[in-house]
Amino acid sequence: MSGGSVHETVLSWSAGRETVIGVRADESVLGAAERADLALPFGCRTGACATCTGRVVDGWIEHTRPPRALKDRHLAAGYVLLCIAEPRSDCRIEVGSDVRTELVSNPWK
Amino acid sequence: MSDARKPNETSTDEAQPGGSEGPGYTTPQAAIEESTPEKVAYVMGLYVGTDVDAPDFLGVVDVDPDSESYTEVIDRVEMPNRGDELHHFGWNACSSSCHVEGLERRHLVIPGQRSSRIHIVDTKDRRNPELTKVIEPEEVFEHDLSAPHTVHCIPDGNVLISMLGDRDGDLPGGFLALDEDFEVEGRWEPPGEIEMNYDYWYQPRHDVMVSSEWAAPKTYYPGFDLDDVEAGDYGRRIHVWNWEDRTVEQTIDLGEEGLIPLEVRFLHSPEATHGYVGAALSSNVFHFHDAGDEWRAERVIDVEAREHDGWEMPVPGLVTDLLVSMDDRYLFFSNWLHGDVRMYDISDPSNPRLADRIWAGGHFGDPAPVQDRELAGGPQMLQLSLDGERLYWTTSLFSSWDDQFYPEEAERGSVMLKADVDPRRGTMQLDEEFLVDFGELPAGPARAHEIRWPDGDCTSDVWR
Ligand code: FES
Repeated sequence: MSGGSVHETVLSWSAGRETVIGVRADESVLGAAERADLALPFGCRTGACATCTGRVVDGWIEHTRPPRALKDRHLAAGYVLLCIAEPRSDCRIEVGSDVRTELVSNPWK
Repeated sequence: MSDARKPNETSTDEAQPGGSEGPGYTTPQAAIEESTPEKVAYVMGLYVGTDVDAPDFLGVVDVDPDSESYTEVIDRVEMPNRGDELHHFGWNACSSSCHVEGLERRHLVIPGQRSSRIHIVDTKDRRNPELTKVIEPEEVFEHDLSAPHTVHCIPDGNVLISMLGDRDGDLPGGFLALDEDFEVEGRWEPPGEIEMNYDYWYQPRHDVMVSSEWAAPKTYYPGFDLDDVEAGDYGRRIHVWNWEDRTVEQTIDLGEEGLIPLEVRFLHSPEATHGYVGAALSSNVFHFHDAGDEWRAERVIDVEAREHDGWEMPVPGLVTDLLVSMDDRYLFFSNWLHGDVRMYDISDPSNPRLADRIWAGGHFGDPAPVQDRELAGGPQMLQLSLDGERLYWTTSLFSSWDDQFYPEEAERGSVMLKADVDPRRGTMQLDEEFLVDFGELPAGPARAHEIRWPDGDCTSDVWR
């Protein structure tokens, strides 16, 4: 690993489980989780499907491509696409399949 | 050269239909008369989008009532990666290539809807199929396409796949062609013929193909949002193609009553120029046909939205799948949100007549459990036996949409159910003895999606 920055990233699941991983400056949160043998949901890996959605509760991330699966209201609420998200600071991110299900609800209900 | 062409090899346990080599039957009537009852079903099983750390799989379901493992998932071919969302799949060859010497209906082409990865599975051993090849997403993105959907073999031994998006999951979609060795040949049509894409069906004798429209992958992938409907981001048109020229000759706007046209089915007779498309959101079925100087589409079935206790707005049926029986006499479709499967007599194709229906699960169906198993979804993907006497269905639509409308399905998994059909009387009855529980698999509860038979079926076989 080069001397570049590694951001300490806390992943937290709704069930209460938490894990800290180091995310390098040049890798996505999803990629770093895989390197650490942690299974996070994903689908397209191109920022189109939202399967990998997480929610940043603390810290600063940048998307390396346009996050096409998220609407402005989602971005404003802190949702990020972990397949194309790179931390720019230490972060705390809610992860797991429940996070994606918060994006849309049953419109008839 | 692929192993699809080895004319001297016979299948291990069952001979080709009709006892002869070849990928299919000479006519739809031959399929009805010469076929034997289905013994195994191939069913998509999914873990995408859940916290279950396992890849999606091809499930082999035993549907032979004389077998000890009847109604069990007897084998699972796991894909090499997670995250695919296996959805629809198809054969390397169907009855349309009946006359191509040496070709066998043997390989399943199984795309990942979210991953854009395409898998080839060899079913030479029907009960133990094997993954033999994987086309990685990058190879698909090279042609500025993504989100593979409907797979049909096309008459020369090649395979055509409808693609719903460009490489970024945006519009336009298009079609990807594979050669007989399952190498990506490239784009089938001149790019830009259509914007949105979904399902398609071709009728080679009339040199015609009809394709439908879902939306851009980036629109439907995350889930269903009414804002996207209001913004016009969902489809409502069908496209009539010149099959030989690969160009769109006519586009029919189905209007507000035709929102989100999904599955397209022509009648099976190669002579027929009649077909149906189900509009999921507006919950209508359209009949389309060649009127001589142009193609026309008319709404022939309208499923009324229903009030639901505690829900704010009337709920549409959501017509998500439909199929035509091999004898072209009945149309079946599912109302995924309401919870019924309907059977219509289409002896007069422009005037379908409701013959029967079954309620099972859904938000309105008397949610009676089957064998004590609570049903966590509504009827969705359908498949009918070639003789028209057994109708099967699964309950998952699309992982993110399931989570919105049937959140319990993620915890309970899908089921596969069956009805006995009496084609003479035009009736159906739920078979309470039949239940395949995808909630009870080793890695955890799975979603179940499309169903195919080894010897061809009512939703994929085409005749030339
Ligand atoms: S995996 Fe599809 S948006 Fe990240």
